[in-house]
Amino acid sequence: MSVDEPIISCRASHNAEEALSNSAGSQPKVAAAIRGRFTDVILRVHNVIVRVERVAMKFLARIFVSATALIAASGACAATFEQLAAQANAAREADRIPQAIQLYKEALQLKPAWPDGWWYLGTLFYDGDQYESGRKAFAEFVKLEEKAAPGWAFLGLCESETGDYAHALEHIRRGLEIGTGIEPASEQVIRFHEALLLTRTGLFDQASPRFMPFVRRGVHDPTLIAGIGLTALHEQLLPKEVPPERRELIASVGETVYLWMSGDTTKTGPAFQALLERYPNAVGVHFLYATYLLSFRPAEEALAELKRELELNAHSADARAMVALIAMRAGSESAALPIARQAAQDGPMCPMAQYAYGLLLASSGDLRGAIEHLETAERLDPANVEYHMGLAGAYSKAGRHGDARRERRTSIAIAKESDPHGPG
Amino acid sequence: MARVNLTVIIGMSLPLAALAAPPADKTGCATCHQEEARLVPKSAMGIAIELADDQAVLKEHPHLSCASNGYKYVIERKDGVSIYTVSDGTALLELPIRYVFGVSSQTFVFEYEGHFYESLVSYYPNVGGLAVTMGSERLRPHNLVEAMGRETSMEEIVSCFGCHSSDGVSQGRLALDTMRPGLDCEHCHKGANAHQEALAQGKPAATPKKLGEMPAEDMSNFCGTCHRTWDAVIRMKTWGQVNVRFQPYRLANSKCFLGNDRRISCTACHNPHANLVRDDASYDHNCLACHGKAAATSGEAMQKPCPVASAKCVSCHMPKVELPGGHSVFTDHLIRVVHAGEPYPN
Repeated sequence: MSVDEPIISCRASHNAEEALSNSAGSQPKVAAAIRGRFTDVILRVHNVIVRVERVAMKFLARIFVSATALIAASGACAATFEQLAAQANAAREADRIPQAIQLYKEALQLKPAWPDGWWYLGTLFYDGDQYESGRKAFAEFVKLEEKAAPGWAFLGLCESETGDYAHALEHIRRGLEIGTGIEPASEQVIRFHEALLLTRTGLFDQASPRFMPFVRRGVHDPTLIAGIGLTALHEQLLPKEVPPERRELIASVGETVYLWMSGDTTKTGPAFQALLERYPNAVGVHFLYATYLLSFRPAEEALAELKRELELNAHSADARAMVALIAMRAGSESAALPIARQAAQDGPMCPMAQYAYGLLLASSGDLRGAIEHLETAERLDPANVEYHMGLAGAYSKAGRHGDARRERRTSIAIAKESDPHGPG
Repeated sequence: MARVNLTVIIGMSLPLAALAAPPADKTGCATCHQEEARLVPKSAMGIAIELADDQAVLKEHPHLSCASNGYKYVIERKDGVSIYTVSDGTALLELPIRYVFGVSSQTFVFEYEGHFYESLVSYYPNVGGLAVTMGSERLRPHNLVEAMGRETSMEEIVSCFGCHSSDGVSQGRLALDTMRPGLDCEHCHKGANAHQEALAQGKPAATPKKLGEMPAEDMSNFCGTCHRTWDAVIRMKTWGQVNVRFQPYRLANSKCFLGNDRRISCTACHNPHANLVRDDASYDHNCLACHGKAAATSGEAMQKPCPVASAKCVSCHMPKVELPGGHSVFTDHLIRVVHAGEPYPN
């Protein structure tokens, strides 16, 4: 993906055909132009062509051939299905979308176990911004082809558009986990949506590193900047959901954090100063600056910013949890404990607050309470290695050796997974 | 990065005692704790850093040299000071060695133009001289300063002095004016100084926490402050044989590690006040405390006895592993049944 290429939306033409032939050459050529086409209408960013990887297409083509053969052999309705399927494909290829949709529907009534039909139907709905219908079509498709990564990814993209964010994230991740069948260009788009969905579902710590590959490549897109800004401010929104009066703030925060992420140390500090001058009373900005300071400045400076954040937002569980963790790190565990307790009360859904309180309870000897809060943190954000590590220690001290070993294994697996240089 | 970096907040390997430790008084402690006071100053932890006057290895080897990446390195003892010289054939850079880290293998730390550097070559007894410092093998210096050493961040140098010295760090900052080489009592036993001062004045004295009573998990975290905790290794993502030197990590991954049991804690096997004992048989009673009759008679949980032998357990179950780039061998604290040819378990 080049700097100028979009990351949020893809568009492909159904008119553009690409006949994919079997590489052996002995099989009949199957015209299987499958081009995912989807548009983010609201954000109106650039377009990029999405194609399903050759392997997936061959797989679908094989199924198509097999299904056709079966129908042909089975008698009465065989000719009708074949005819409908051929007409549907022809209509799609000629860009007669409404007709193609109708023909696919009719063909699928005759043969519901026709994966190609569900796939094409899904992509046509998606391209037509009919996301609920697209969701249903892709859901049928993945029932038949549960290892087809593009199917899961498109199902997730449809669910994202219909507001079912939890399932959208789950299914996009499933598609990415399968790992094959998605073309690199499409994968980038899907990964970007994954990052946005992580923010939308409140998993900010997981979202941040997922933006990093785009920053490293120099991608500079308003939607990316907004996504980074929302993540940095811990706001559970998609870029398109940002109210107009907050767009400037989100963009400013996003630009500042973008500089930080890109490692531009000379510009990041001044950018933060400018941000603080412009938005001295914006909730989340001082917390953000504190996290920045913690990387290279004495903890007192970060604490001062956290104090300002708490003056603006007295119930900021994140800020209070960070204060508690810093105090714990400095050896003031008795002072940190009530702060963490308050953070956990203020943020029952804030994993860092639950984690901080759990750690401090473990340190105080209340292992039962510690485990309860650490398990909550882990449940809220299961991909965060710190929460598994905290639990491993608490289980170990409590004599729950099997649980401790499980959490240690999980921690190591997560750490290795996030380490591109690890042995795996 | 906007991400809340918990590693930054809680992951730095700086001993808690180093955050606020008044000067120690070994003599005072020795009044009652004679054996410990006698052993510690001669132990590896008691030395840990050598200053210019006490550089025993460099005194013993007054001329050391090696070549690497087109640069020549020489360490020579002159007028009571060891001078580290690096040259590229046309120019040279000379610096006095102020701090020698380590007792066996030794690395040198310099201050140069306001920055700290870790020497690019170190002394290794197994090599019998200088070789590239572990961790710097892939560095390709472009000039004499880079060839001299790897510039360290302040966080890293604070961590170095925090573990190798006493009072070398104060309130999280480097404090070389108060720094004393090696670890004294207060470094590990927080409150030891106040304890002995109160006793000396005939006042009631709060007793420092009895570290030996900590269960294994707490002990590993305590010792791991410098030897790396299990958590720290996960955060560092140090995989492969290089993590063999991080004993708390390896130990915690052992099937027999029970976090609430003192029989598998660091001090169950090691006397922290003395040098490491290298006789395999001397550790048998520790293994048999769980895997032998002793466990059965003491009422403690008994683990499966070894069907092969009842002596020198560690020679099989804790194999020696070459530390890549370290020119040394470490005992793997991942206690296990070792199968021939199996890869190093992470």
